[in-house]
Amino acid sequence: MTEYKMFEGCTIGNRIPFIEASTRYVFDKLGIETSEAPFTCCPDPTGFKSFDDEGWLAIGARNICLAEEENKDIISLCNGCTNTLRGVQHQLAHDSIKKEHINGELAKIGKEYKGSIDVRHFIDVLEKDIGIDKIKSAITKPLTGLKVACHPGCHYMRPHEWMETNDDPMRPTTLKELSTASGATVVDYEEEVLCCGSAVSNAYEEVGMHNLKRKLDSIIKAGADVIVVNCPACFQQFDTNQRNLSKEFEQQYNIPVVYLTELYALAMGANPDDIGLKYHRTRLRDIAPLGL
Amino acid sequence: MVIDFEFRKQVMDYHQGSDVIKYCYQCNRCTDNCPVSYVTDEFYQYRYNPRSNILNALLGYKDSIFNADEIAIWGCTVCDTCDEVCPQNIELTEIFTLLKNRSIAKGDGPEFIYQQAKAVYDYGKAIPSQSAIERRREGMGLPEIIAPDTEELKTFLNNMNVNQKLKEGE
Repeated sequence: MTEYKMFEGCTIGNRIPFIEASTRYVFDKLGIETSEAPFTCCPDPTGFKSFDDEGWLAIGARNICLAEEENKDIISLCNGCTNTLRGVQHQLAHDSIKKEHINGELAKIGKEYKGSIDVRHFIDVLEKDIGIDKIKSAITKPLTGLKVACHPGCHYMRPHEWMETNDDPMRPTTLKELSTASGATVVDYEEEVLCCGSAVSNAYEEVGMHNLKRKLDSIIKAGADVIVVNCPACFQQFDTNQRNLSKEFEQQYNIPVVYLTELYALAMGANPDDIGLKYHRTRLRDIAPLGL
Repeated sequence: MVIDFEFRKQVMDYHQGSDVIKYCYQCNRCTDNCPVSYVTDEFYQYRYNPRSNILNALLGYKDSIFNADEIAIWGCTVCDTCDEVCPQNIELTEIFTLLKNRSIAKGDGPEFIYQQAKAVYDYGKAIPSQSAIERRREGMGLPEIIAPDTEELKTFLNNMNVNQKLKEGE
């Protein structure tokens, strides 16, 4: 059995750890083994990279070195972390000048980047290594009648040269197929590939709110009960900002958001308290097919 | 209009292959598909426009980028949509990263970016650990997060002068 180095990331690890709880529950059920390493921030492809691109590359490479020392692939629970670490791998594999420079800096702290391991998004591992059939066989309480809108998020699939998913970066289907395995019904909506707007919200909140309205209006129009995500930044954008959005536009926004692993955990029979569902800002208990 | 050839060269040399920017024929697919351009059109005086950024970078019109409203640079939400729809395979988001890095070096970036960089520098994490969250992790049976080697990280970043871009007192 492959053991991965767990890269839970800053947001999940230090802000919304209940996402990690559901993930570990699902990983146990599916036989995905993980262990910890002293990783730093990935760092953020929308934040730190904008601050200093070379520093971003260097910190990312240093993190990969830590997994290389144990010769284990990384499994990431976050689009941003996966995007950074895969982007770093891509740039260092295709740019020998950059690789030489970064390795010069790493040598000063006794490290060397080799490019010998892989960085996997957990969605990618579920799709390619575990497979829909095995996931379905672990489902004991299918979420029949639940209508879900899928939001895979930008950095899961773009830029495609870095991410190398099976998905078309402008027409993704993997998250929909994986969501269907829970017994839920996927509803399509017009703005499926639209960004959640998390990054621009940090600098221009009003712009982010207008973008979020565009996204949520499309989801609500499609008649979804919940939004399914696989990124903590998108999760937070949807979960924490709907109250503000309701005030700003004098219209009720309260559509719950769930991580794919929460959907699975519930369908695999997890106790909602054990996976911290009460920490969601948007209320889940009114959604009958979730059986809460 | 002043043309800054050094800036132009920096854009062209940014990565191996970033000189494909010269094949931009201003078709506007980037702006047509940009989520921020879409919403800033309605209520902002200034529209965030990736196509203009590429044109100005290509021509070396530095002032049109760095002396304009900061949304010209920081309106980008890093969704990488423009990269995917560009018919000339220009890595627009990488060019925008260069613009943002230069804006940061001038001290003009959003506070959030400096704060996050400082947190990464000081704690090794964009979101540092808190005792309340650590208790919550323990309550849910999650393993302790292994602390990163922050001293090594600081040395590493200092060697590359990344610390010099941080703002004092934050």
